[in-house]
Order: sequence, then structure tokens, then C-alpha cells
Amino acid sequence: MKQHQLEGQIGTDPNFSHATHTGHSRKNAKASDPMPELKLTPEEQAILDGKSGDLLKRAMKTICDYGRLFGAEKLTSLDCAPHMAMSWGSDGVEPFLKIYKQLADAGLKTYAPFTADPKPMDFDGLPVSKEERATADKVYNRMDELEKINLALGMKKDHWSCACYLPQMGNTPKFGDNLAWSESSAINYTNSVLGARTNRNSMGIDMLCSILGKAPVFGLMTDEGRKAKWLIEVKTSKQPHPEMIGSAIGMKVMEDVSYITGMDRFIKEVNEETSGYLKDLGAATASNGAVGLYHMEGVTPEAVKSGRDLLVEGYQTYVIDDAELERIYSSYPNLWKEKDGVPERVFLGCPHMSYGQMVEWGNRIIKAMEKAGKTKIALPTYFFGFTGVKDDFVKRNPEIAKKIAGYGISIPKNCPMMWCSTPGTGAERIATNSNKTRVYTTARFFFDDALAHLIVHGELPK
Amino acid sequence: MSKIFKGRPALPGNVEGSAEVSHIGFNTCATYVEVMIAGSNSGVCKDHDNPDLFNHDLTDKILCIPQTIGSSSAATLFLIILEKNIAPKAMLFANHIDSLAACGLLMGDNWMDKRIVTVDLLGDDFLDAVKTGDSVKISEDGTVEIQ
Repeated sequence: MKQHQLEGQIGTDPNFSHATHTGHSRKNAKASDPMPELKLTPEEQAILDGKSGDLLKRAMKTICDYGRLFGAEKLTSLDCAPHMAMSWGSDGVEPFLKIYKQLADAGLKTYAPFTADPKPMDFDGLPVSKEERATADKVYNRMDELEKINLALGMKKDHWSCACYLPQMGNTPKFGDNLAWSESSAINYTNSVLGARTNRNSMGIDMLCSILGKAPVFGLMTDEGRKAKWLIEVKTSKQPHPEMIGSAIGMKVMEDVSYITGMDRFIKEVNEETSGYLKDLGAATASNGAVGLYHMEGVTPEAVKSGRDLLVEGYQTYVIDDAELERIYSSYPNLWKEKDGVPERVFLGCPHMSYGQMVEWGNRIIKAMEKAGKTKIALPTYFFGFTGVKDDFVKRNPEIAKKIAGYGISIPKNCPMMWCSTPGTGAERIATNSNKTRVYTTARFFFDDALAHLIVHGELPK
Repeated sequence: MSKIFKGRPALPGNVEGSAEVSHIGFNTCATYVEVMIAGSNSGVCKDHDNPDLFNHDLTDKILCIPQTIGSSSAATLFLIILEKNIAPKAMLFANHIDSLAACGLLMGDNWMDKRIVTVDLLGDDFLDAVKTGDSVKISEDGTVEIQ
């Protein structure tokens, strides 16, 4: 366990590998390489010259400087709507709050109403003790301030979820849209599954680009940067767990783009049922590595359109079979203080669950409960998801929703990963099916059948 | 005899100082965890996973690293250490600068008018050559001289 994880910090590169974190490898760059000239339009140049005020001038200068460092030759206008990763108001983000407040006080707004990652706590959906509440209130003492600033800058009220691209949340880019998103899992999904274009942006850059409605074009926003340096051949005997495939790819390719084959045996198209699988696969590549884009043969839009022409000359190959996935799974450390302790809670949905996943998990638990003849779950269990997804699930599946609520399952809207990273709550033994939560916290990863058994019986299957 | 390396001046400047060298990725959040969590005003590295820098005071030093790693909230740490005047004087990257550091350094430069002189792409040889305590001179064209 690394210090930043112990101290409740979240973010990229838990494996301490070197990467630019843009999703755009610059391994071969040299200091002698000529620096491309960043050409601005007359309107952009006017902003840089200060004709629209000092704040926009600073914003423009910052994103131009950022673009130059990574080889951008121009800026592009942004489409759809922004998504921001910063969703926790604490003293730790004070400098950003100060800058964002300046922007808000000047009446500036993002180019379209934006969405943001889920808040760290949901005291209704996931109640905590009085002491834990007091600690959380102290840690996240700037939440109200962040929300107020966000709303002033153009956030859509109550639109806090990392899975912003789901139809119920509505921030769903189209193929070819240009974006400047942060939140690694959302970036991965929108690049890979929707075919929109965004680099992996950090806090600050995302907001400045969104205020300007512009982003520097480099890396994953270019045709060249979207080509795959890795051919991933999936040769497993059955459909692999998305978290395991994603984990294996992330650890191998780190931040390079991959072209995955062999998955069209199991997934035929992107739809309500498969979107959750693709979301979880991508999130695992982005958290176990720093991947911003994958192509899946016969499934994702650019792979359907261009096929293996997406592979660069001299690409590398990585074969994933049953043995390789077993090797990866065996390498996961058990970070619980009581190694053989029984989990205290079960967390499902990091990134937030899709509609299809709520239905799938609801049915899985009902089946297991009825088989065991139980009426109450043995461990507190949570389906993390956006309120709109929950409402859709309940509306379209009243019987399933009623049954699982009766068993004691709740659907909170906060971020399970941040909940686990919060002092006080973070010491609990959490069982999860999310590789992202596993990587950033002390939670243990279990396969779905084992989790279902845990939920019903309160112990691991023998 | 001095050794000279040429990198890319990401945030150019002319500065001199004493080197602090890490041969593994510099974890910004872990280094300044006490600044972030406990409000410390110290520039001493608290990343116990970094044997090269643990308990070294990095204030006003020339920090020589491969890249930064760790949490994406690192950008905010750069702004905090600049505000508290406990930042390194310069950061020298053997590799290409990463976006986490770039964001923090550029936000500090453009929004606080405080610059940590930054040179990247110095190459692995640079990290082999420079030792903690060496006197380092940086020129605004990206030339780094180990004296």
C-alpha cells in the first residue's frame, strides 16, 4: 500500500509506472525534436492578447502552454458538454476553489452545462456512524462551496456521476465530438465506446478548456494518436470478466492504445446490456494502467469502421488466455488488516452501475436468495449509481427493485472509491467487483459468483 | 569537471541550486502529504516509498526526477507549495513531462505568477550523472550544467 493511498488520495497511476498520463505515449520524444508551432485563429489570438479580459487571457495562455508541451499545433472547438472529475470539496483543493471562484465571480460559464463525478458521501443511501459522519464533514468541509461554485460556472444541478455518458444522465457525446474531459473511466468510455475524442485531462485544464470551449489538439484527439500500438488477442475459453481483461491490458500497455480481438465471440454490439461490460473493462484499463482508448474488433465504432488498419506498423502483441488472467488475479494483494476477515460491506458499481447492470445484479441476487430460502441479505450491499439510472431501473423493473429493497440492498449515489478513501470509513473490509476500487483503496476484488455468495450467506464459498 | 545536458525548457529560466535526485517516479501527493492533510508548512519529502528523497527538504532545491507519478490531485499540491513558498526552485525531468506535473506547474505559473523552472527530456544519462548535493546551473535555453 503506497502512502498516497493510505492517506486517502485518489487518482492515476497506482502502479507507479512512467507515463505522460495524457493517454499519449511520448516515449521516443527527444529534446532536439522541433517544437511544432501552435497556430491560433484570430479570435483565439485576441483572447490570448487580453481583449476579453485578464481571466480569459490566463485561461487561454494556460491551455496553449499545455498544448505546446504535448505537441499541439492548433486548438479545436469543443462539442457536447464538459465532464469534471473534481467532486470533493476539501482544504486539499483550496487553490482550485480560489481560481474557480474568480471565474464564477466574473460571470464566466462553461460552453455547455457540465456534469461532475459523484460526491464522496451519501448519508441517506449509505448511512455511517455519528463519529464517521463528523470525520467526513471535517474532511469534506468545502462541499457546499464547491457545489455553489460549480452551479455558478454552469453545472447541471444534481448531475454527479462518473458514468455521465449513460442516457439517463444525458451527457452522451456523439462519434467524432471533441471534448476536454477529466475522470479516467469516462474518458476511456467516450473515446472507446462512443468514438468521441478527448485526452486524459487533469483538474484545472478541464475547467479552463470548458470555459473557453477550446482544447489543444494532440494525442487521443488526433487520427494518429488513436492508432493502436498493441494487438491484444483474447483467447480465453469463455467470456472473461471485464475487470480482469481490463486489468491485464492496463498493466501491459500502460497508456498505449490497444486493438482487442477475440471479444466479438461474446459481444456483438454496444447496447443497454453490453455497455456496462465495456464501461468496466475500460475503467480497469484506465486504473490498472493509464489507458484512454481501446478498440475492440467488431464492437467499438472505430474498429467497426477501420478494422485492423487502426494498428500501427510494428505493433506489439499480447495474448490473454485463461492462464494469464489467473496469473493477474493471483497477483492482487490482500490489503485487509485481518486477511481472513469477513467483509463488512459489499460494493458494486465503480464506475457507477448502468441500467443493464442493475437488472443483471438484481436478478443474480434474487436467484441466489430464493435458492437459499433467505429473506434478508447477510452483508450490507450497495449498488452505486446515478439517481436517474436508479429511477429508470425501479420504473422498468418494479418487481426486481421491490425484492432487492426488501432484502436490504440500497442504491446510493456517491463514489464508492472516495468513500473507501475517507478517513474513518476507509478502514472497513470492503468486498467489490471493481478493479478500480481495488487499486485505489484497501478493498478486495472478488468475482461475481463469490460476491453473490457473500451477499447471501455472509461468507466466502468453500 | 562539469557535465552539460540539454533538455527542453518547458518553463524556462536561469537558476542555480543544489540537486535533490530521485531515481524513481516522484510522487507529488505522497511527498507533500503532510502539507495536504495536516496543513504543514514544511517542504520535507514524506514519501517513505522514495528512499532517495524521504526526509530531504526540497525547498528551493533543484529536483531531478524521471517523472511525477501518483494521484491526479497532484496539481493542487503544486499550487499549495508555491503559495507556502516551500516549492523546489526547479524541476528537471529525465523523461517527457507528465500531464499531472504539467497541469500543476502551468497553473502555478499562469494563475499565481510563481514559476518553478522546468526542463524535461534530459535523458536517462542525466539521472545517472547528477547526485544529490551537486551544484546545478540551469539556463533558459534548457541547458543544465552539473558543476
